[in-house]
Amino acid sequence: MAEVKKNEEPRIGVFVCHCGTNIAGSIDVKAVMEYAQTLPNVAIADDYQYMCSTPGQNKIAEAIAEHNLTGVVVAACSPRLHEPTFRNATAEGGLNPFRFEMANIREQNSWVHMHQPEEATSKAKDAVRIAVAKASLLEDLIPKSVPVEKAAMVVGGGVGGMQAALDLANAGIKTYLVEKNPTIGGRMSQLDKTFPTLDCSQCILTPKMVDVYRHEGIELLTYTEVEAVEGYIGNFDVTLRKKARGVLTPAEAEARGIVGGGCTGCGDCEAVCPVIKPNPFELGMAPRKAVYIYHPQVSPLIYTVDFDACVKCGLCVEACGEKKAIDLDAEDELITVKVGTAILATGYDIFPIEKKFEWGYKNYDNVITSLEFERLICASGPTGGHLVRPSDGETPKKVAFVLCAGSRDNTGVGKPYCSRFCCMYSLKHAHQIIEKIPGAVPYIFYMDIRSFGKMYEEFYYRIQDEGAKFIRGRVANITEDPVTKNLHVNAEDTLLGRPLDMEVDMVVLAAAVEPSAETEKTRRLFGLSCSQDGWLLEAHPKLNPCGTTTAGVYLAGVCQGPKDIPDTVAQAEGAASAASIPIHKGEVELEPYFAQCIEEKCAGCGLCVNLCPYGALALVEKDGRKVMQVTEAKCKGCGTCGGFCPGGAIWMQHFATPQIVAQIDAFLLGGEQ
Amino acid sequence: MSGNNRQYAFFLGCIAPNRYPGIEASAIRTSANLGIDLLPLKGASCCPAPGAFGAIDLNVWYAMAARNIVLAEQMGMDITLICNGCYKSIYEVNEKLKHNDDLRDGANEVLAEIDMEFKGTIDVWHLAELYYDPKIVGIDKIAESVTRPLTGAKIAVHYGCHLLKPGKERHFGDTENPMWIEELVAALGAEPVQYRNKMQCCGAGGGVRGYDLAHALDITNEKMINLQEVGADALTEVCPFCQLQYDRGQVEIEEKFGIEWGLPVLHYNELLGLAQGMSPDELALDLHAVDVEPFLKKIL
Amino acid sequence: MAVKKDYKDQKLVEKLQDRNYYVSDSNPEFIKEVERLGRTAAHMCYQCGTCTGSCPSAPRSSYRIRLFMRKAILGLEEEVLTDPDLWLCTTCYSCTDRCPRNLAPTDAIMAMRNLAFKRDIVPRNFLKTVQAIYKTGHGVPNNDANRAARKKLGLDEEPETTHKYPEYLPGLRKIIDHYKMKEKADRILAEGE
Repeated sequence: MAEVKKNEEPRIGVFVCHCGTNIAGSIDVKAVMEYAQTLPNVAIADDYQYMCSTPGQNKIAEAIAEHNLTGVVVAACSPRLHEPTFRNATAEGGLNPFRFEMANIREQNSWVHMHQPEEATSKAKDAVRIAVAKASLLEDLIPKSVPVEKAAMVVGGGVGGMQAALDLANAGIKTYLVEKNPTIGGRMSQLDKTFPTLDCSQCILTPKMVDVYRHEGIELLTYTEVEAVEGYIGNFDVTLRKKARGVLTPAEAEARGIVGGGCTGCGDCEAVCPVIKPNPFELGMAPRKAVYIYHPQVSPLIYTVDFDACVKCGLCVEACGEKKAIDLDAEDELITVKVGTAILATGYDIFPIEKKFEWGYKNYDNVITSLEFERLICASGPTGGHLVRPSDGETPKKVAFVLCAGSRDNTGVGKPYCSRFCCMYSLKHAHQIIEKIPGAVPYIFYMDIRSFGKMYEEFYYRIQDEGAKFIRGRVANITEDPVTKNLHVNAEDTLLGRPLDMEVDMVVLAAAVEPSAETEKTRRLFGLSCSQDGWLLEAHPKLNPCGTTTAGVYLAGVCQGPKDIPDTVAQAEGAASAASIPIHKGEVELEPYFAQCIEEKCAGCGLCVNLCPYGALALVEKDGRKVMQVTEAKCKGCGTCGGFCPGGAIWMQHFATPQIVAQIDAFLLGGEQ
Repeated sequence: MSGNNRQYAFFLGCIAPNRYPGIEASAIRTSANLGIDLLPLKGASCCPAPGAFGAIDLNVWYAMAARNIVLAEQMGMDITLICNGCYKSIYEVNEKLKHNDDLRDGANEVLAEIDMEFKGTIDVWHLAELYYDPKIVGIDKIAESVTRPLTGAKIAVHYGCHLLKPGKERHFGDTENPMWIEELVAALGAEPVQYRNKMQCCGAGGGVRGYDLAHALDITNEKMINLQEVGADALTEVCPFCQLQYDRGQVEIEEKFGIEWGLPVLHYNELLGLAQGMSPDELALDLHAVDVEPFLKKIL
Repeated sequence: MAVKKDYKDQKLVEKLQDRNYYVSDSNPEFIKEVERLGRTAAHMCYQCGTCTGSCPSAPRSSYRIRLFMRKAILGLEEEVLTDPDLWLCTTCYSCTDRCPRNLAPTDAIMAMRNLAFKRDIVPRNFLKTVQAIYKTGHGVPNNDANRAARKKLGLDEEPETTHKYPEYLPGLRKIIDHYKMKEKADRILAEGE
């Protein structure tokens, strides 16, 4: 195929949208419409308040019939928003939907040139002229349907990832849950209690962890990272690196012929291991061995060897005995799985708050982060739930909480955004010390208390009633008494209009959050975008908050932006629902922007084959000579081959050279062709 | 002066040459020992004082500082200086004029009247940062130059404000708990001591010393309290204006508040001079308001 | 505009004066001038108090840099420029260093002082420094005791500045005169006598 079809006589309809005053406020829509009427090939031009409304869409369908149009141009918003709408309207009118072209005169024009109406109008005319030039050369295209693999992947085993995996599996979809750590549970398993209900975080989380572990539809891959992603919606081939764990599960042991062997989580290995390392789960405040589990409730209950620390003394192998679970020669293993859709739930890290020198974290012993506070107040934590001062082990009586520590910070050191859950957990922390330490007083230094969720404001009321003291002022700096290691908190009580120097026993920094260290790598593998601050970018902040710009890839939880547990779980359920739709439909339509070989021009040099980043091209024998052939399902229409082909033998559907040249000509020639 | 030495235009400012000439004398001698020649910047004036001049007309501040910079441009040399106030004026105006056309054009319009032009061809350094920079001098070389270590002396450091702050317009990293001048002090064999609120201002800047002396001294007095807590034998700084405030300020504190501290205050270059074997007379330490003798007894 | 109370008892007029904030009392151009001179986006202040909490002058006076920022944003020019606390900033830049909005409150204060000076509001010590520099090139000039000390140290009695090379003074004075600063300092000081 791929013969160059010329439209006999292009007849284009142009429709200019006012978008209320969004466009008409700075662009003279009538002038643009009248200008369009003067352009070659334009059969009809019209304008309307809201082209995306039903009457607006009807205008398109009616005009196609009335004027026997061969192409449609709508000058309105970004194609990201309404291209699908107008393609449908074009199809309704009986034209192939790919005979539609959009001119963006809103996001790229009226919104940015609000105060330059003349220039904006002139630019809108250019955009319309360019779109008409392309529309005149558009052709019928037929989208391809491809089958969807009936399996999904969730990356990240925190509460969001677990919820998404459970929902997918419960909907009958085989789900791979990939977690980089040796256990699932994520940040939530590090928390003591959750606001505003004050239920024990582990108590509500562990049942879910058990559900995930036991679910037949979930293949749990802990201590595993995504290595490579190939393919497209419906057919992702994901390569996973199963990191060398050094410990066999009972199933793995059986596969090696060790009957009744494998790790039972008995801990005999740990007892004899001579190597001591800080436990990252306890933020380094408690030790662990080189063979370890994070905490007693891990899932799966399988030990892990830290090969960076292990001295390979073999004591653990001996202690394990007949179970033969320990393999100190284990190596990383790469496996590939095929999934139809994927959900990223890669979570967050605490911003390294020591970068804000004024609060002295890591410099003053008794300045701790909120996450450290969680571990110190938690009964299963390093101190058995006794909050103590790191400097001397004493119980603090006066504790200052520094809110917005690194959040709402435009200095370039901290984070410009609100981390969203710090206000609420700091209220919870205040409650916890009042509850646990008789006579203790929490002082909360805040700018605004953002208690926006259900029962949150009520929780604020309760904590205030319990005796927490609120000081409306951001902490300027903290100094340490070199003798007592007490801390002086300097701030202004802005409501009193007085500076204060408060001596306290301990300071808890409600440190900002940032995307987890792995987010950036994972994002690139899946080809997603991120916002300026590194959070993964949703397809639309309001109307498609779980989707991404990569079809078939969805987001859950804090990786998309700071959110608390209820919001994380809700988004996870949304993402699971969205990710299940293509799988249940069984097939997806691919946009027909494939490269096509114009065989009579192809010299069979094969240069394009090596250039293609998606492995979509191959050389085949045809009529006694070599020509290039495209695997359409693999081609993403990136145009690398088309741009390179020395013989001009590659036709990029919908972005063909003549179409693009026509656009450039239309721009340069100012319409006077 | 040696042929291999690095050469800088030495911007003196006001207080060092006109109140504590020992700082000027020691800066020239100690630097020569460390491979730095300080050449006279003939005809330089007050930087001018950022608090006094910048506070009432920034344009005059830009133009006058630019004039001092141009004198060094004409010598084809970077400027080095020994005072934080001068650093703010000379360093900051140099950077601002280099990077802001409007400010440079404004200053050059005035400079044209005296046949001068700011070109932005040189850089400005505090002598202390040159000492700390291993590519120029470095801690090791300082330690090697010591012939009379200040062993047994507990010395607290006052960084001053205008050298380090605002941090975003400087290049010294941590402005809340810097330690590099302590390293310079330790290189002399002394023991640097930490005290609470190290980065607090001396109280003199911004014209406050002249506007409300008691207010300025009350800030100074707070530093004295924090220093006494840790038993410092002396306070060192890299700013003659801070030195004036801490040294003469103690006399004024005694007059006004009836509190006697008696804490010797020495510019780092005076300490370095002592450590390199200069005598108290060669440093004119008798000009200090607070008797330096108890400190000297500890180290000599 | 605040309500004028023409009560016959002046004490009561003072006691009961209208303390409302009226938008009509404000000068919206003021904040723009502060931003232009201070080269900082002062209107972005969110009133967290980090500045006052950092300020060495705040604990020992009624000076509140946060309030100056607030008043500047609201255009309360008169209140700002006539407030004697304006001159209590030591320019230590701690507030600027820590401001989470990346503003330079110190430079905003400097700008407000510049604007006060335009209206002849300025403490006398500032003007005396201007006079000293105009006369000698130095804010803190040499004196006889110091000359003697310099000589003992083997330094020239006069430092290598305008002191030793007074031929540089006319150029320096030209700069100061360009902005009519000395003239203004002399006038204000004379008026204050």
